[in-house]
Amino acid sequence: MSDLTSLQTFADDLAAISGPEHIRVDENTFSVAPASTEEIAAVLRYANRNSITVGPWGGGTKQSWGNPIHPSLILHTHRLDTVREHTWQDMTCTVQAGCTWSSLQASLAKHSQFVALDPLWPDRATIGGIAATNDSGSLRLKYGSLRDLIIGMTIVLADGTISRSGGKVVKNVAGYDLHKLMTGAFGTLGVITEITFRLHSIPRHAQSFTIASADVEPLGQLLMKILDSHLSTQSLQLRSGSNGFTLDVRLATLPEVIRDQASSLSKLARSVQLEASDADSDVWNARQTHFDQAECFVVKATMLPSDISPIAATIRTLGGTSVTQATGIMTASIPASASSQLEHLRQKLEATGGSLTVLHHPAHATAVASTVLSDTLPLIRELKHRFDPNRILNPGRFVGGI
Amino acid sequence: MLNRSQDAAKLEPKVLSEAVLGDFRAVVGEKGIIVERNQLQTYECDGLTALRTLPAAVVLPRSREEVQAIVRICARHRIPFVARGAGTGLSGGALPFASGIVISFARMNRILAVDIPNQRITVEPGVINSHVTQRVAPSGHFYAPDPSSQSVCTIGGNVAENAGGAHCLKYGFTTTHVLALDVVLPNGEFVHLGSPAVDSPGYDLTGVFVGSEGTLGVVTAITLRIVKRAEAVQVLLAAYNSIAAAGQTVSDIIAASILPAAMEIMDRLSIEAAEASVHPNYPACEALLLIELDGPVAEVDVHMQQVREICRANGAWEDRLAQSEHERLLVWKGRKAAFAAAGRLAPNYIVQDGVIPRTKLPIILEEIGRMATATGLRVTNVFHAGDGNLHPIVLYNASIPGQEELAVDLSIRILHLCVDHGGSITGEHGVGKEKQQAMGYMYSEPDLDTMQLVRCAFDPHQLANPDKLFPRPRLCGEKSGPYTPHPLEVAGVAEYF
Repeated sequence: MSDLTSLQTFADDLAAISGPEHIRVDENTFSVAPASTEEIAAVLRYANRNSITVGPWGGGTKQSWGNPIHPSLILHTHRLDTVREHTWQDMTCTVQAGCTWSSLQASLAKHSQFVALDPLWPDRATIGGIAATNDSGSLRLKYGSLRDLIIGMTIVLADGTISRSGGKVVKNVAGYDLHKLMTGAFGTLGVITEITFRLHSIPRHAQSFTIASADVEPLGQLLMKILDSHLSTQSLQLRSGSNGFTLDVRLATLPEVIRDQASSLSKLARSVQLEASDADSDVWNARQTHFDQAECFVVKATMLPSDISPIAATIRTLGGTSVTQATGIMTASIPASASSQLEHLRQKLEATGGSLTVLHHPAHATAVASTVLSDTLPLIRELKHRFDPNRILNPGRFVGGI
Repeated sequence: MLNRSQDAAKLEPKVLSEAVLGDFRAVVGEKGIIVERNQLQTYECDGLTALRTLPAAVVLPRSREEVQAIVRICARHRIPFVARGAGTGLSGGALPFASGIVISFARMNRILAVDIPNQRITVEPGVINSHVTQRVAPSGHFYAPDPSSQSVCTIGGNVAENAGGAHCLKYGFTTTHVLALDVVLPNGEFVHLGSPAVDSPGYDLTGVFVGSEGTLGVVTAITLRIVKRAEAVQVLLAAYNSIAAAGQTVSDIIAASILPAAMEIMDRLSIEAAEASVHPNYPACEALLLIELDGPVAEVDVHMQQVREICRANGAWEDRLAQSEHERLLVWKGRKAAFAAAGRLAPNYIVQDGVIPRTKLPIILEEIGRMATATGLRVTNVFHAGDGNLHPIVLYNASIPGQEELAVDLSIRILHLCVDHGGSITGEHGVGKEKQQAMGYMYSEPDLDTMQLVRCAFDPHQLANPDKLFPRPRLCGEKSGPYTPHPLEVAGVAEYF
């Protein structure tokens, strides 16, 4: 793409699709901001024909996740920012991929509904990017992940084919669940342009509690006891910080029931010699703060719930801090010097059915590899090959260099 | 859809060579293979009994290794295979392929591992759905997806069809509860999809495999999530003079931010049939709404109070709370017997499985009524009202010439009606053989081509449950465009209708 004439042709061709005011040239990277699914299809058809690599871009909040790559064309989705349909009586909504999470939720809140997910950086992160990275937070314990909340999707394949899967009804088993394949695929199989979600009513009453302990073990026991209880637990997480460990619990039920449940929770806490107290409201944003530490590794680790407290203890011995949802998803920041112990931790997690993925790699640290499930790699490669034979969509970004 | 020309295949089983049969025998032993015509007949259909095809052979493996060896033989000789659990499916998903084999999972029915603290269980595909719940009941847990056939259907079949049930309104479908799968791919390779921990790295292959109707491979073990049983369960029966009023109640309950465990509606014909068949003591009415609430005792009490008020406000003239576990089970028994009970209303019937946005319920039911009257057939309705999943049951008498065709046509038009209103052709029964053509009504060619990309990545030779789910056979790599006869069609191997 260094040839000046071809650069000019490239810019002209893209301008013909999306208008010159929506094209940007910056050194060797072009960017284009199409206005519709059809324009995205035209851009991809063009890129595919000319073997131009493309990186889809929403809010740009998680572009550093995955293997570092430098696509020739950045495809911005911010002009696809409309909530197209909110059929509140049916509790579904259809929204374009470039809409930010917060603006979708603000729109749904008019009818006291929401997509029951609490992803990172909701003010900037877009629907498409959140789906492409399969982000999830503390609400997952009660409501499930995006694979449970997304009921339909429009995608554009590398060759410009516009394809829809699922639909607008929650219960639907017609055909393959392609939207599940796209969720968490880091834009390597197609560009998501529109998503239909199932919605939930915003809980009217919720109360958060915190139980602190210098020792992690009783908190681990308490976490398992709460999972096995009849409490209306909406969120449950184990945090570690400089002062020891805390377990945060959010109960969501009717006001007349919460009082009873709060005393049941206190009783459970006392059974491991600990006290429950009211929690600060910002404890549920704890995950986000881990990404502020550029000099640390930031990792996502997955594990069985019973492994949460021992792994949290291990992270602490490495000088790191962590927050782990009771579903078994940990976000941890670990000093750059601990890279060899991280390798060891990854193996330990893999041995018990878990995984470790490095989300942020500090500048001068020894490289740490993420988990790759080797037996499915040939199948994953074959899927990539069928969907994107010219490897133009985020090539190399995904697990195993897909 | 149903087509009598299928019957041609049932006359004589296709024959596999003695050498190939010998290969299968070497894997599963003499007792693990069926080739006798009269024994093969047990396997000629599933719950969709209108379609029957004799397979060339049935093999009954005992282990993952045997399954893998069988699939390898199939791959080597390009023999199509259809996996089968209990054969209770209603869309012909387990209908054999005439020149292929059936792999029956009847002998792979062990529970492999139970992890109560982490709420997980690992089972072989032949394990019966309700046995999972039985196994974990002592610790207060249950397996949530509950298709009406749960006392006989298998987890392997549930995974293939992404089975639902009345309680998925609150608890989700099979796919919500599957964490990991051991799979033998159509080329004979063995892979682990997903993991006991959530979010395993890589594409969500588990998500795409569940509900793929046996077209992507064969499952040999499944790790499921189990759920803590609620502290309290209450079931309410509300009787109405019209289905519309019952439907409105459902919308009002959901608008009041109450999420029941289940909400089911039955119409007069279904109520009468259920009453005659299992005597659930239902009130005689035009529409019966069955609501199950579960959760903490105090919460269920408050919500049930609200629900009863909503029922009465919508004209329920009786709202009866089941007073004991026995009464509750009886209420459910009546509902779950609804399909079988339809046999009391007519000699033959077709159960459909359309889904509509919940708010379209009154319009659609009125339209179905009009269509039935115009055809001169009776249609009775039983449905999962909370998630808009209709089960219209088209009643007919196959011995009256022309009536079966009318019934088939009506049931297809009902599905088209669901699609026209933004719904789906199937909520839990699957596409199978039955609704192949309706897939082409619901999805466009590019949508189906994209699904084919997945099929071809898993199964380039299309040996796993061939000629199901998609509207017509298509070779991997074939592009959509103007209709061209498929090579199999030209060769007279397959027929497109």
